[in-house]
Amino acid sequence: MTETVSPDATDAPAAEQKALLEVSGVVLRFGGVTALDGVDFDVRRGELFAVIGPNGAGKTSIFNCLNGVYTPQEGSITLDGTDLLKKAPAQIAGLGVARTFQNLGLFENLTVVDNLMLGRHTKMRTGFLAGMAWWGRAKREEIEHREAVERVIELLELEPYRGQPAGKLPYGVQKRLELGRAIAMEPKLLLLDEPVAGMHLEESQDMARYILDVRDRLDLAMILVEHQMALVMDLADRVMAMDFGVPITVGTPEHVQNDQRVIDAYLGAG
Amino acid sequence: MRARTHGLMTRKYSDDLRLFGSTNAKLGLLAILLLYAFVPVFVQSAFWLSVLDYAGIAAVGALGLNLLTGYTGQVSLGHAFFIGIGAYAAAKLGGPDDVGLPLPLWLLGATLMGAFVGALIGPFALRLRGNYLAIVTLGLVFLGEHVFRNAKEITGGNSGTSVQTASTLLGADFKDLQFLGQNFSFNQGYFWLIWGIVGIAALLCKNLVRTRPGRAMQAVRDRDVAAEVIGVQLGRYKVGAFAMSSGLAALAGALLGSYQQFVTPEQFNLFLSIQYIAIIIVGGVGTIFGSILGALVLGGLPGLIDQYSASIPGVTTGSGDSGFISVFSLNQAIFGLLIVLFLVFEPRGLAALWLRVKAYFKAWPFSY
Repeated sequence: MTETVSPDATDAPAAEQKALLEVSGVVLRFGGVTALDGVDFDVRRGELFAVIGPNGAGKTSIFNCLNGVYTPQEGSITLDGTDLLKKAPAQIAGLGVARTFQNLGLFENLTVVDNLMLGRHTKMRTGFLAGMAWWGRAKREEIEHREAVERVIELLELEPYRGQPAGKLPYGVQKRLELGRAIAMEPKLLLLDEPVAGMHLEESQDMARYILDVRDRLDLAMILVEHQMALVMDLADRVMAMDFGVPITVGTPEHVQNDQRVIDAYLGAG
Repeated sequence: MRARTHGLMTRKYSDDLRLFGSTNAKLGLLAILLLYAFVPVFVQSAFWLSVLDYAGIAAVGALGLNLLTGYTGQVSLGHAFFIGIGAYAAAKLGGPDDVGLPLPLWLLGATLMGAFVGALIGPFALRLRGNYLAIVTLGLVFLGEHVFRNAKEITGGNSGTSVQTASTLLGADFKDLQFLGQNFSFNQGYFWLIWGIVGIAALLCKNLVRTRPGRAMQAVRDRDVAAEVIGVQLGRYKVGAFAMSSGLAALAGALLGSYQQFVTPEQFNLFLSIQYIAIIIVGGVGTIFGSILGALVLGGLPGLIDQYSASIPGVTTGSGDSGFISVFSLNQAIFGLLIVLFLVFEPRGLAALWLRVKAYFKAWPFSY
């Protein structure tokens, strides 16, 4: 957990930094419906990149393409020069893409610690037989990764909940735990799907603080999908607005906010 | 006076990971285990020992089913098929006229055989889930029964096959145990053999579910898409769970064959699968302890009903006897009833009940 991100670095022009994630010409169809129609964007190291758009614009579809749940018919997606297309979700997770879900994807019957330990899954090696035998590495690994998990617990202030089943936690804490499970993976790229959906103002502010904490302390890029415009405008370095599977514009929050096409997409043109 | 810790405070992660917390808990468990180990010395009735022996065999199989259904969330009605494979494998591998392997090897061989066949069935679970998987595994039981009836060279066909397995371990013959100048009966010897294996299997399963592979299995159960996205390979853990579950089922089958010394194809029917489902539901789905508890309560039940059927009103015990229900139907009805009652009133089984009792006494005499 190194501190490599300074706020200034992300303001540098695109040409100076090689992009971490490059998405170009992505087309995703379900039968006759085109969910994504030629999506291009890139995300730089340490950047917080937001995707906005009305319902059904294709925001979550982008996430599903990025972590391999959907395979787009056309286009390319590369992370650090590695092609992510045609890779299974579990492989992509191993390459350093973590994600949270819009409607929560926690393992409800498992405790907070176990949920976070599952975030360490790709970093651990213990197999069926070694696990059964509780031999050397199995136990050593449990302790080693428990330490990493404790750092996440500390960062996100989850201490009071360690042994509780995730499904029994209050909604806001569940959202935080899911963020924790994603950063326990030590990803290069973190995808946040509506992290403050359904939260009241105070919870949203807390979550924004945790997102900024994560950003300051860890070396990772984030893509944020969110409907709450105030949050997006406060946090994001760059914003991409989408409508009907097509990016309308990409730029700084101020730029996107004042773009007439974005206003039309949200309010309905004419 | 020296202050004692209550065992809830840990200072190291390794303490946190200990299976049996405080010294008191360890001593308590040891006392219970020792007491249980002495049961055959005090209870010498062949009938009651056979009830416990069958319960132990059921516990091994139930551990397997709980790994698959309770921990990985894959509903299987095919458990009886794998138990059958284990029984016939034991007959072949352990029989002196066939391969004639010693005790540990025919047990291991049967286990591996079951695990192998289970791993072949596993890939179906990648495409199917829930009720659809249940139907595929249901088909397995009928397929298996057909094969068991017709592969006469291996299974002896409809009339069954005798299972004469070696039962000697380190010079001790479990069929005719001699220890400290005492002679122990077949039932007593097999009690120790079977429950020893239950202990080992339970420990291995417990370790499995609290480490990486076990957590991954539970992640697959709770939310498979999320599991995949954090890097859990669904295929590996579904197939692995099938292999381990069928391995344990085959181990139970091998013990069953060896204990009965004879097996017939109709033993491995759908009712046996449902019995195992009842055991894990009554004991506690998704708990290791519950598998054993459920087996203790239900594993010996068919034997008990058979023994006391004459004194249960309305049960037909022979032809010409007045009564409205046969012993077999009574068995089915009781298991069905137990499944329904537990699912409605205590879906987490006896294990949850036990935890509640324990929690109550931990706080006693305070009610909060």
